[in-house]
Amino acid sequence: MNSTKPYAMLPCNGLDKAAGCVAREVAIELAERTGGEILCPVFYRVADARYNRLAQEQPLLVIDGCATRCASKLAAEKGLKPARKLTVTEEAKKIGIELGGSLRLDESGRRLAENLAAVLLQPESAPGASSNGTVPTAFPEHFEYDVYQKDKFIFRLPKSGFYFNENDFWVLVNGSVARVGMTDYLQQSLSDIVGLNLPAVGAKVEQFGELGTIEASKAVLDVISPVTGTVRAVNQALSASPELINQNPYEQGWIAEIELIDFEKDRELLLDCAGYWPILKRKVDEFQAK
Amino acid sequence: MSETTFMGVPRSRIDWSPRIDYAKCNDCMECVKFCPHQVYEVREGTTPKLIVKSPENCVVFCRACAKTCGVDALSFPDKSQTTVRIKEIRKELEGP
Repeated sequence: MNSTKPYAMLPCNGLDKAAGCVAREVAIELAERTGGEILCPVFYRVADARYNRLAQEQPLLVIDGCATRCASKLAAEKGLKPARKLTVTEEAKKIGIELGGSLRLDESGRRLAENLAAVLLQPESAPGASSNGTVPTAFPEHFEYDVYQKDKFIFRLPKSGFYFNENDFWVLVNGSVARVGMTDYLQQSLSDIVGLNLPAVGAKVEQFGELGTIEASKAVLDVISPVTGTVRAVNQALSASPELINQNPYEQGWIAEIELIDFEKDRELLLDCAGYWPILKRKVDEFQAK
Repeated sequence: MSETTFMGVPRSRIDWSPRIDYAKCNDCMECVKFCPHQVYEVREGTTPKLIVKSPENCVVFCRACAKTCGVDALSFPDKSQTTVRIKEIRKELEGP
């Protein structure tokens, strides 16, 4: 965040788990230190006018306790776009703090809450810092598509040049660099995409390994990488506008660029456009049948 | 209908499905609610209440249900080893 305004904070305050109690504590700590307002998720469920206004006027910080991500789901239900978010259990793993089972904050819980509050008081890294400083690789901005239509739904598939894994992620190769994203089928089956955890530039990823996560109103999914390599850039525009994926997942909605190691090896477990077409049709038909 | 092959390999030959740590599972059933492939089954009145009924329905390399688990009770096989195994089976199927 690069704002002088304090956050409006929507924490998990789930009282049945230690992580929820830590999330609540982080919000209280930040409220005391910045004057930011806390949105109580319980009250928000039954009366939302005041909180909707607050969330519009101030940058929204969502603090989830655990992977169930109740606070994120509530934000999505209310149509809010978080400026920043974190999940207590994930951060605890990164920092190396093991949370106990006690619902009263113990020493480790207090230490974690203080740590997370300190992190959140720092501005996030600048949005422009999306690549590792290497020369950008030029990819075409527009493509031609084949279309599979089922009832009112239209699914685009590039005519050529793309490869796909059966998990519905694509890769477009340009020399030793590849751009990665999700297919039109996947974005439509997920419905509204409300956020992403983009991978870190410089991170190494294996084929079928995790390349960040996508948060939709329905679910949180791993980005399953179609290739092995090193992340050289991520699409930072998605941080502010994840809906770009819904608009066109092959163009402005790309997710990351990977420095490839051995694409020929990766290609053994990938499909070209003609190979993915029958899989797309089968998945659409099965999805519609449900 | 479930997938019967993954990258040309019969699904039954790929060991990919969730493992439930019953010491952690609190029977919240978020995974069951999430999974659209009927991988799990809820058996009311029995212990354990939650079982992996149809492992072959699980989408290979998908771990999305684990993301819904607040107590981190779900795990999956190693992805790299699974990838190697799929390639081996493909070679076997191609023949000499």
